[in-house]
Amino acid sequence: MQDRPVAFITGCSTGIGFETALLLAREGYRVFATMRDLKKANPLKEAAKGLDLEILPLDVDKPASVKSAVTAAVKKAGRIDVLVNNAGWGAFGALEEFSDGEIRAQYETNLFGLVRVTRQVLPVMRGQKSGRILNIGSLAGRMTFAGIGLYCSSKYAVEALTESLRLELRPFNIKVAVIEPGTIRTPFKANRRKARLFQEGRSAYQKTLERILYFGNHPSSSAPGPEKVAVAVLKALRARRMAVRYPVGRDAVWFPLLRWFMPDFLFDWVLERRYAGFQREGA
Amino acid sequence: MRGPQIALVTGANSGLGLACSKALAEKGARVYAAYRNPRKAGPLWELTRALPVFPLLMDVNRAPSVERGVRQLLRREGRIDVLLNNAGFVMAGFWEDLSDKDLKDQFETNVFGLLRVARAVLPSMRKQGSGKILNMGSVAAFAAPPGLGPYSATKFAVNSITEALRMEARPWGVEVAEVNPGEIHTSVVQNTRMGEGVFSARSPYSPFTRQFEKLAKERFEKAAPVEKLVQVVLKALGHSPMKRRYLVRPDDYAIYYLRWLLPDALWEWGLGRMFPWSWPTE
Ligand SMILES: NC(=O)c1ccc[n+]([C@@H]2O[C@H](COP(=O)([O-])OP(=O)(O)OC[C@H]3O[C@@H](n4cnc5c(N)ncnc54)[C@H](OP(=O)(O)O)[C@@H]3O)[C@@H](O)[C@H]2O)c1
Ligand SMILES: NC(=O)c1ccc[n+]([C@@H]2O[C@H](COP(=O)([O-])OP(=O)(O)OC[C@H]3O[C@@H](n4cnc5c(N)ncnc54)[C@H](OP(=O)(O)O)[C@@H]3O)[C@@H](O)[C@H]2O)c1
Repeated sequence: MQDRPVAFITGCSTGIGFETALLLAREGYRVFATMRDLKKANPLKEAAKGLDLEILPLDVDKPASVKSAVTAAVKKAGRIDVLVNNAGWGAFGALEEFSDGEIRAQYETNLFGLVRVTRQVLPVMRGQKSGRILNIGSLAGRMTFAGIGLYCSSKYAVEALTESLRLELRPFNIKVAVIEPGTIRTPFKANRRKARLFQEGRSAYQKTLERILYFGNHPSSSAPGPEKVAVAVLKALRARRMAVRYPVGRDAVWFPLLRWFMPDFLFDWVLERRYAGFQREGA
Repeated sequence: MRGPQIALVTGANSGLGLACSKALAEKGARVYAAYRNPRKAGPLWELTRALPVFPLLMDVNRAPSVERGVRQLLRREGRIDVLLNNAGFVMAGFWEDLSDKDLKDQFETNVFGLLRVARAVLPSMRKQGSGKILNMGSVAAFAAPPGLGPYSATKFAVNSITEALRMEARPWGVEVAEVNPGEIHTSVVQNTRMGEGVFSARSPYSPFTRQFEKLAKERFEKAAPVEKLVQVVLKALGHSPMKRRYLVRPDDYAIYYLRWLLPDALWEWGLGRMFPWSWPTE
């Protein structure tokens, strides 16, 4: 009936997912914007009035939910041309102090959930012999920052996923890339989940973490908004030859470059001593 | 220094862990060699006859097992100077052919398990104001080939974990580093697991899987002997401070530096050329 390309996006209640869903709808995509809590759907519904955008429930942590959302979209649209794997959140705390449960929860969404959605969509794209998958990775997938080591490790894994999946899907004409935003003005930081030990004030790294949290939360007024990430998504979708990665924001371009030409010891010194400033506390 | 070094090696009943346990003990360390399966611990018991090697039952997948093992060790020795975080395995298969469980099993051991042991050991190291943690990475931390994506993803993650722990622990006098070997003769191939869907007739990747197996076999025919890695591990542990990363064979340096030098597109083209099905040359 329609020949609009169909896009399927996770984590659209706020931030990057929200803006990407809107932009793609404005640019003529038929958009399935998914979110795990439909009570948060109103702002997007309002913003998308008159656009071809439909909201579906999807919690990437839950296999049944993934299955039913993808099935529903395919039933309605007959195809999926674009998958944007955006749902994710950030754990905050010292790597030493996360519990097993906290560690698994971070990976459940940022990696296992992402793979789960991808695995559900792939047969559809293979059937079409076309499709594009964009993973929202992060600058934190290229280098590790203090206080968010666990989050970084999950995003490093997304880099490996993207690189290998690209080659695995090349014979099926399915293209994969990773978008790497630096700091972006979204509720992401407010939504961070802090390690319990830190929250209770019992961390061995308490003061350092508090300082990182404080500074980390403030200077971001100059950071780009989520629209900028949406634009990068669109750019990747329109590229004839989609690159492996798309950094978004000045920090996302500069940090990896600095790392690239700085010797390890110098970079360590900058990142660990100057930036992280972990100290021996207590005693 | 006071007395012999106390070392904990995980996955010590086989391959790299076994060889490193032996070498560390020969250098005079008291080595707590962790294994999870008594039926496979034979080679370890062999070592205990002549060397200060003490087998320790520990499954890195299970928190109580890790905590109990570390507690036992600390009760006997009062300290841990070296942790060689080595236990791991390969889950091979194309992403789509792996079940949720396959993927989680891979991470449970290679990432969460590695982290679990580090977490159990760190408080005592910080208290004593010294210690070295050496994580077993792989060249798969720089290159993510098709068919080996999930394993690479675990080693990419370990890369980040090493970096984060390094920052956190340094002020306490605890050093963290990583070794990134390429193919080495161990039981890693026999112990490789395949994703659930890999051998299903319905897998769209089955022709590729066969090519992948052939390539893996070829590469392992040129694998280095374990002694190569043992030397590097001893060198790393001898450094103070340890560098962030230690490479092993000339091939591994080549992979590391090519990755560093080449733009993404060229790197991918090169990697793709090794896997003809993903890069058909028309
Ligand atoms: N903001 C940054 O600085 C930044 C930088 C680099 C990368 N990123 C990445 O960008 C992505 C989006 O983040 P954002 O900045 O837009 O933050 P955000 O505003 O907090 O949005 C995160 C979205 O993910 C959803 N989500 C979380 N867990 C989910 C689950 N289990 N199932 C389904 N949806 C889930 C959230 O839903 P709820 O509203 O229900 O929680 C929300 O819609 C994340 O992957 C993040 O890692 C962000
Ligand atoms: N050999 C290579 O070419 C190569 C290259 C790069 C990196 N590596 C890394 O080197 C490490 C050691 O591998 P290897 O080559 O020596 O292979 P291996 O001979 O298969 O030894 C792996 C060891 O890890 C143990 N292990 C696995 N899962 C465990 C668990 N849940 N709890 C406790 N122990 C567990 C195994 O115990 P069981 O015997 O009971 O299974 C075995 O002792 C791995 O991390 C691997 O990724 C190897």
